[in-house]
Amino acid sequence: MHDNGAFAGWFPAAMTNAILPETAVRAIIQTDDIALWRGADGVARAWENRCPHRGMRLSYGVVRGNRLTCLYHGWSYDGGGGCAAIPAHPDVTPPKTIRVRTYQCREIGGLVWVAPEAEGTPAPMIDGDWAPCRSLHIGRSVALSNVLAQIPGAEAAPFHAQAARVQTPCSAPAVLGVQPMAEWGAMLHCTVPGTTPSETHHNVSEWLRALRLTLERPIAA
Amino acid sequence: MTPDDFTLSQWYAIGRIEDFDDPEPATIRLLSQNLTVRGVDSGLLVSGPEGDLLPTQTRFGHVWTTLSDAPRDLYNMPEFEEPGRRLITAGAISVRCSGLRAVENFLDMAHFPFVHNGILGVEEHPEVEKYDVSMEAEGDEIWATKCKFYQPMAAAAAEGGQITEYKYRVAHPYSTILYKTCPIRECEWDLIGLFIQPTEEDACIVHSFVLVYDDDNTDTGLLHFQQNIFLQDRMILENQVPRKLPIDPRWEMPTRADASSIAYRRWLKSHGLVWGTARLQETV
Repeated sequence: MHDNGAFAGWFPAAMTNAILPETAVRAIIQTDDIALWRGADGVARAWENRCPHRGMRLSYGVVRGNRLTCLYHGWSYDGGGGCAAIPAHPDVTPPKTIRVRTYQCREIGGLVWVAPEAEGTPAPMIDGDWAPCRSLHIGRSVALSNVLAQIPGAEAAPFHAQAARVQTPCSAPAVLGVQPMAEWGAMLHCTVPGTTPSETHHNVSEWLRALRLTLERPIAA
Repeated sequence: MTPDDFTLSQWYAIGRIEDFDDPEPATIRLLSQNLTVRGVDSGLLVSGPEGDLLPTQTRFGHVWTTLSDAPRDLYNMPEFEEPGRRLITAGAISVRCSGLRAVENFLDMAHFPFVHNGILGVEEHPEVEKYDVSMEAEGDEIWATKCKFYQPMAAAAAEGGQITEYKYRVAHPYSTILYKTCPIRECEWDLIGLFIQPTEEDACIVHSFVLVYDDDNTDTGLLHFQQNIFLQDRMILENQVPRKLPIDPRWEMPTRADASSIAYRRWLKSHGLVWGTARLQETV
């Protein structure tokens, strides 16, 4: 049986602005297929991307208020993952046993962080106000150390296994987060201080584009 | 895996005769094997991976073949002999899911207001009333009857919303037929059905047909109606996890509206069908 649950620890799954208010999006961490969504209450949530009824990916669902509704049969789930309504049977109270598997989810440093419910370590601490700058897909499997090796002067000991604070060549610091996606490569997320002017955002974005090209270059034997 | 006996013993539609009018032999895929189809003066020759000739027959506007030396009889559909009906085929559509998932989706009414909103259902009328499901022992078929659903536009020939009555029939693991009240002839049923060509355990080609009384719509109009509906379904089918059909009842949670789906899964299991289903302890 395919089951989510292939990873342990905290991973960045998106930048905070990738989940617009009252929408759902899909994210992959290692091989786990995850639905990220934000209710009217503004809270970001991370769930297994599978409706318990007939397996439909919940990231295609519709958010109304603080409920996520599956696109297939309209089953809706409250913020805690419990089934709240089954439209085919309007008079039936859904049994409490119908639940979507949930993850821990926190927004820190401009990034959405996700960990299995069983994860005991706390989410990373990132001081300051960080704003989303850019997410890029890297078309190969990369670790944070591979990314830092391409940045002159990057700290050898990052503050987290999946994220580091770096100095960009655009006179702005940045937080880089790596989201591994098994055979689908990785996502590289970058946030910058909230006060960063838009022109610098643009320069950091260009720098990231060049960084991606370097990371995707074949490794010399 | 090698297909189980029940899967192997079936006839499978591989297309319409006119799909094979190219003089070059065509390679097609069935049950994870490559077959070759050649047109000759007397008709079509279908050969297996070793070059051995396979049995063929033409039924219901389609060419059928089997990998079995002793296939089960293909089921009957007497409506194909009735005068006045029009047959429209709606093409061969590849779908990245088990063909069993496609059958199950076809048997399902509860998705109409959400997937086919404004056509086969509306969100204001989502209720699925109780319907009957019976296993016809003699014919070894599943019938779901007394299915009723509010539809704003049940067929290309329909004018405005109506309660449509349905019957569903499953007489083959990869084929299913819907009988729905004809909007222009009382006491008659229009037929819509799927003949699925399972190419892999988690991939298939869906051949579909419409067999209706309809004096007004063009073939193209009927084709577009069917294709529009099916492309809405395909978006669902390609996003169900896992792609193969879970048979174990602990895996997916049904309700009363899923009575036909429950019967279908039980029927497949009772015949020892495994190929195309998701197994526990398996990574997909």
